[in-house]
Amino acid sequence: MLQRSKTILATLTAAVLAGAFAAPAALADDHDFPSQPVTLIVPWSPGGGSDTSMRLVAEAAEAHLGQPVVVVNRPGAGGAEGTRAIASAEADGYTIGMVGSGVIARHYGNPNANDYGDLQPIVFFGADPGALTANPSTGFKSVSDFVDAAKAEPGSVTNGNDQPGGSSYISISVLENELGVEVTKVPYEGFAPTVAALLAGEVMTATVPVPDVIEHHKNGDLVLLGVTDTSRHFLASDVPTFQEQGFDIVIGSWRMLVAPQGVPQERLEKLEQALIATLSDAAFVERANAAGFGVNPMGIDDTTAFLKAFDDTLYPVLKASDLVKVRDRN
Amino acid sequence: MLDAAFAAFLQIATDPFAIGLCLIGVVIGTALGALPGISSTMSLAVLLPFSFGMSLEHAMVFLLAVFTASVYGGSVSAILINIPGTPGAIVTQMDGYPMGRKGRAGEALTYALLASTLGGLLGWCLLVIFAPLVAQAALAFQSPEYAAITVFGLAMLAYASPGSTFLALIAGMIGLLLATIGLDTTTDVARFTFGTDGLQAGLGIIPAAVGIFGIAEVLKGLERGAKKLQPVTRIGRLLPPWREAAPLWPLGLRGSVIGAFVGAIPAAGSAIAVTVAYALEKRLSKTPEKFGTGCPEGVVAPESANNAGVGGALIPMITLGIPGDSMTAVLIGALLIHGLRPGPTMFAQHIDFVGIVYVALAFAIVATLVVGMLGNRLFARIVNAPRAVLLSGVTLLCIVGSFAVRNSFFDVIVMTGFGVLGYLMNRIGMPTAPVIFGLVLGPILEENVRRSMIIYNDWTVFLTRPISLTVLIIAIVALAYPLIQDAMRRRPSP
Repeated sequence: MLQRSKTILATLTAAVLAGAFAAPAALADDHDFPSQPVTLIVPWSPGGGSDTSMRLVAEAAEAHLGQPVVVVNRPGAGGAEGTRAIASAEADGYTIGMVGSGVIARHYGNPNANDYGDLQPIVFFGADPGALTANPSTGFKSVSDFVDAAKAEPGSVTNGNDQPGGSSYISISVLENELGVEVTKVPYEGFAPTVAALLAGEVMTATVPVPDVIEHHKNGDLVLLGVTDTSRHFLASDVPTFQEQGFDIVIGSWRMLVAPQGVPQERLEKLEQALIATLSDAAFVERANAAGFGVNPMGIDDTTAFLKAFDDTLYPVLKASDLVKVRDRN
Repeated sequence: MLDAAFAAFLQIATDPFAIGLCLIGVVIGTALGALPGISSTMSLAVLLPFSFGMSLEHAMVFLLAVFTASVYGGSVSAILINIPGTPGAIVTQMDGYPMGRKGRAGEALTYALLASTLGGLLGWCLLVIFAPLVAQAALAFQSPEYAAITVFGLAMLAYASPGSTFLALIAGMIGLLLATIGLDTTTDVARFTFGTDGLQAGLGIIPAAVGIFGIAEVLKGLERGAKKLQPVTRIGRLLPPWREAAPLWPLGLRGSVIGAFVGAIPAAGSAIAVTVAYALEKRLSKTPEKFGTGCPEGVVAPESANNAGVGGALIPMITLGIPGDSMTAVLIGALLIHGLRPGPTMFAQHIDFVGIVYVALAFAIVATLVVGMLGNRLFARIVNAPRAVLLSGVTLLCIVGSFAVRNSFFDVIVMTGFGVLGYLMNRIGMPTAPVIFGLVLGPILEENVRRSMIIYNDWTVFLTRPISLTVLIIAIVALAYPLIQDAMRRRPSP
């Protein structure tokens, strides 16, 4: 008995020592990167769109990275919790994460949230254009109908969206700003309850993405009035864009993969290449599209430029909607 | 419809791979559900990628098996170590754990399993027969109705808790107040976070439940001192006596009906269903004082309601394409990846798929019964472990479980805090379950009241809408009834 526990102890010690020596060795030699599994932090709960899309990425990335990718959910505080976990992770390339367009709103709105400059973009995953959907009982057939009703009596149109700072809240705020209208914004936690409320007629319109309402639109239970993109949505070719209807508005939500600042250049490039290859994989794209995710891979430089441009577009809207509370620009 | 279901039945029943997947799913689901901190949703999300490579039929068989079994698995740890594996099992443990302490752990597990099966089957029937009708009725529940039914759930809970209704109400209030911590879901403003990062996400329900039940019990065990940490020597028999079990079936049936209907209302959640089922049986019982001391009725009622909710939650998914809860949200994710977008046209265009859901769920329920019967023999032995080992093991599970929810160490601190709170509350005889229900229901109540006010801008909306009004009246009557009864009794008899 004693003998056995001694053997176990010795084995454990050896294992710990081996681990202690192995870790710096892995750090020193970038040619072997990655030599251990890569952690992918998702700042949202299991089961949502962000989680599903990233589990798809994680599964497909193994073949291109040569190591498994493990999804770790760090939900909380509208994504601020997980973003913090990414930004403060060790910058060795073994921890990466996903952030969505909400990272900009939190940058200006939540004093505890990270500056988005704490994150190093790796690849752009894809964008979901915003959309405006109405309950048929409103009689709205086009974006103009919505604008007319909202102008006739400000605040009379109720719109279902998420809480301030969420992507569908940003969508309706942009619409209010650009169309010069005022609606009553009704917050729901997540897109599913928003769609349920729209179906039940509790709210008149909602600004949830196309995949969440497309089946109801086809069935005539809901009417998609328009999408805020430069081209029509791949799931809804019968629905005109806002631009086609004479309103030049392009806004959507997006997801990108990021790392903490300070990851060695060589590793960052390896991650970039492997993830671009993953996101360009035909089988992956087919699966992601079927699940309603548009995939539009971009590398480090384009993604960084995109983030900056999105900030420039969104800042005035956030300012107008009273959502700039910290890190104000001068 | 019958044709489709029959075809699906033949397809799955003659496919050894599908049957194997179903059994594996049930074993994994029971184990994950029994682990504190791993909810049904998390079990499904973690196993989801395994279904990517399967055919749609196999994926549904596998995932529904995990789903069904994890809901049952939650009651295993509730009964054996006083930690609800899933939030739906909180009420089950109010009587399940005391039963185990009396040396009837094996019987309690069997009661829970049989009640789960009965509930599962009834939820299944509701799904198969009434799905489209129930879905339409569920849409009648809007923000004011949600607010009303949450008040109703809280009132039922105060009544259901063992001991003083007054102390239970105070405990519920504590829970409601604690639920306000974190980012306000209506305005996104931080409340009671004292500028800290950790509190922004609010107090997690699972860390709180694991602490207030699990750690509190460990602390109580320590208080008794090492000498008294004697193991429960008997696990008791597995099968309860027929004479005791037979009269309980109407009770299980009532619980199942409640669970199935409440489960079908999107987002209402199992917490309200199990509470209402438990409270109803306590009300109807001739010996309500036995509830909370380890009576089988207190296990059967909530457990049947909890599992009936599975069938109920699938209704909005297959009729409207809307997830009824976070578990079905993951299932919808699986469907999307297989290129099937659930929506209102499911019955018209994908009737073969609907048949598969029906048959896969039925297989999952039966497989859970079989695996559970075999597994309970093993599970029940846990209480046989020396108390010192058991308590250390429970502490370890509490720490790992609360960390696992969000992979956050902050949650471990929250768990420990709630452990101390639970210990102190036990000392003064205040029930702890209402605190957790306050945490669960608080955000639902607040969100829906405030949303109703944004939409209608008029507080009378809760009284002018018929469903909301009816539910509120029942809640008030239920709360006031004991007072009226007392007053009646005090009246001198002629």
